[in-house]
Amino acid sequence: MIKDLSVMIAGKAGDGVLFTGNVLAKLLKRHGWEIVTSRDFPSNIRGESTCYTVRASLDKIYGLSDQVDILLAFDCEAILAHLPEIAANGIVFCDGQGLTMPPPEQTRGKTFHRFSLRALAREQFGQEIFKNVIALGALSYLLDLDPSLLDGIFSEMFLKRKGEEVVRKNVQAARFGYEKAREITAEAERHPLTKKADDDRILISGNEAIGLGALAAGCRYFAAYPICPASEIWQWLVHYLPDFGGAVVQTEDELAALNMTLGASFAGARAMTSTSGPGASLMMEAFSLAGMAEIPAVIAHVQRMGPATGMPTKSQQGDVLQWIFGSHGEFPRIVLAPGTVGECFDLTVGAFNLADKYQCPVVILTELDMGQDFRTTRAFDFSRVRVDRGKLLSPEKLLGTTDFKRYELTADGISPRSLPSWKNGVHLAESLEHDEKGYRDEDPLNRRRMMEKRMHKLDQASPDLFPPQTWGCQKAEVGFIGFGSTLGAILEAMEQLRVKNVPSRFLQLRTLWPFPAPEVREFLAESRDIFVVEHNFSGELATLIKSQVSPCGELKNILNYSTRPFTPREIVEPVLRSRR
Amino acid sequence: MKVKESYHRLDPTWCKGCGLFGVFDALKRAAVALDIEPEELVIVTGIGCHGRLNNYFRAYGFHGLHGRTMPVATGIKLVNPSLQVVAVSGDGDAYSIGLGHFLHSVRKNIGLTYIVVDNRIYALTLGQASPTTDFGTVTVSTPLGSKDFPIDGPSLALAAGGTFIARGFSGEVAHLASLIERGMKHNGLALIDILSPCVTYNKVNSYDWYKKHIFHVEDLPGYSPKDKAKAWEALISPEKIAVGLIYEEDKPSFEELVLPDRERPIASLDLKVDVLRLGKIQDRFR
Repeated sequence: MIKDLSVMIAGKAGDGVLFTGNVLAKLLKRHGWEIVTSRDFPSNIRGESTCYTVRASLDKIYGLSDQVDILLAFDCEAILAHLPEIAANGIVFCDGQGLTMPPPEQTRGKTFHRFSLRALAREQFGQEIFKNVIALGALSYLLDLDPSLLDGIFSEMFLKRKGEEVVRKNVQAARFGYEKAREITAEAERHPLTKKADDDRILISGNEAIGLGALAAGCRYFAAYPICPASEIWQWLVHYLPDFGGAVVQTEDELAALNMTLGASFAGARAMTSTSGPGASLMMEAFSLAGMAEIPAVIAHVQRMGPATGMPTKSQQGDVLQWIFGSHGEFPRIVLAPGTVGECFDLTVGAFNLADKYQCPVVILTELDMGQDFRTTRAFDFSRVRVDRGKLLSPEKLLGTTDFKRYELTADGISPRSLPSWKNGVHLAESLEHDEKGYRDEDPLNRRRMMEKRMHKLDQASPDLFPPQTWGCQKAEVGFIGFGSTLGAILEAMEQLRVKNVPSRFLQLRTLWPFPAPEVREFLAESRDIFVVEHNFSGELATLIKSQVSPCGELKNILNYSTRPFTPREIVEPVLRSRR
Repeated sequence: MKVKESYHRLDPTWCKGCGLFGVFDALKRAAVALDIEPEELVIVTGIGCHGRLNNYFRAYGFHGLHGRTMPVATGIKLVNPSLQVVAVSGDGDAYSIGLGHFLHSVRKNIGLTYIVVDNRIYALTLGQASPTTDFGTVTVSTPLGSKDFPIDGPSLALAAGGTFIARGFSGEVAHLASLIERGMKHNGLALIDILSPCVTYNKVNSYDWYKKHIFHVEDLPGYSPKDKAKAWEALISPEKIAVGLIYEEDKPSFEELVLPDRERPIASLDLKVDVLRLGKIQDRFR
């Protein structure tokens, strides 16, 4: 019985690879399978190679596997590019003239089929665009999927927007592909998937989960500048925020985006911005202002490959230290790093509460993989969402106040907040060093007190922060430390190591700053071989650990700075090598 | 009824004779004329000598970063459109480091009053050339004379689709106050560019110099601020600098377009978690 399967759709940008992959992912999810997708796209609208992998499993999965069981290629180039990943008994469908066969020693056991998707689409349905749906029909046959589920997805997608005729034509094209696949494949090639109940689950990307988390948490103002791969957060929210009474504003640049977020927050909104790459560097300026003027703000940063414009459609974890140590001057900030789509939702809700409670900027740091790829997760439970606005007063609480101090020196360093228009709450949000009322003050003693007030605000925050999550065997000698979207590959690698009798465990950091030093120290003390797994060149997390836990012993880095996410093998191999 | 003292927090310590005193006074007079509660007024300032205004003026305030007054003020206005939001910048703030924000805010026609106090010099940083400094001017940053040609804020605003473009002179406080008052009543972005002498670092563009070099558009026979061609003509006048309400146009404000038919401002929305409604939205991911 098949328990785990990966299908890759490959072609050129403009071939509909994204559409095909998205529909397949939804279809397999409706069959009750756990889904992880991964897309590898160029920063170009048409003409260059792209591929989309859908992994489906009966067990809970978080990342891709090392192999592809079925490759559906809209051109032959993709076969040569992905041959090493194709499983020993894998099946390849390829459109295109002159199917270029690789040398026989590389293709043993694998089955190759010429499948003239474009020609068939033109002949049968008059338009080449139906090749994608024919392909989906063919995959449905190969995986023995329930055709009515695919029909249902077409209805959802097209009935309202394009009408019955379009739905009917798509259903027909899928049927055609189904029958065509039956003709050209042998019965033994089928990979029948069992159907499971699809209970209370969703298929969602990290960007969408952050958007939904923001909406649930009461975010009602969103300002941003277009940038890959963060724009989906905004483009998702823009459909909902106005209906919830809020506003979404496109700004002239990221300087404006964060400054506008701060203005909105100062006036009372739960406000947010999102960015990536160079946009984050522009936000560094106002990041410091949020710290100094103690204005709550949530910044979602979906990391892409740098430096500079880098590779806008490739994932990376190269912006960690920028948010932790970046900008001018010293001020408190919180940096959260969700490792699953479920955590994208939970940590976003948490980010708004933390920002309000500690009156400081909060960064949700994810990566392109996490932001744009889809994963199944248990449906979010909105009844558990709490909105905590911290020390924000109300007009009623200010009645009778004669001496309101916005930056009052309190025991916990956190001061009461009033909003413009509230009587007796007049104050200045000040980027200069200021006194308790917010007015400029250069007195040395005041400076010392204000610095201590701000810098100690987070001293007591740890019960509110997201603690690290420990995965795997308690007593294992091999320990991994990582954060964010490498979680999937790390958990797969741990499973592969377990099969090889190398038990391991994994400390997943979910709050990167304030640094969870006690938990990390304990984990380091309990493991013999520590591997810090990061999708960057210089090992930013390892650098952070060394700076915060001293002495910390030897940390081995497993780094990937290629354009593709970690494969489990890339983590397993260095571990096995180190134990030889 | 408000009086000027309603908005007076501290006596300013600008250099004796600084044009900012006139601006401070004019802004108070405009607030008195409109009878605005200090709680309903938000003054957003940038960096420069003008930025001290927040310390002296009694109202809610936001003293942000150099050049970033406009996005901050826009965020405030959209979240609570009933507030009277006045942004104040210097020439460096508005026309150099914040030029992008300035033009895009004009383009958005957001309901702000934007007061740009132009003294043609960077005074707080002790006398460097600014984007409005005359060509050839010797300053600490241009010992051989400025090699940059100055730019004109009101002309830029007109080109960017501005709907209220005025210029005042801090030596004519009553006139300036009336311009600010009209700007505050305007639906959309009101630019009030102010010719304002710096008595310490700019010995050329003094009160007397301005008195000799300005003319009032309202004195021009047949001048109408609704006529764009006339406005251009006034702005490009080679001899003298046009002062007064130069151009005015009716156009929907950004907040009207972004927030149509709102019962409550964003600032006072109930953030109660609507479990059913969110659940329906989530169903699209099933």
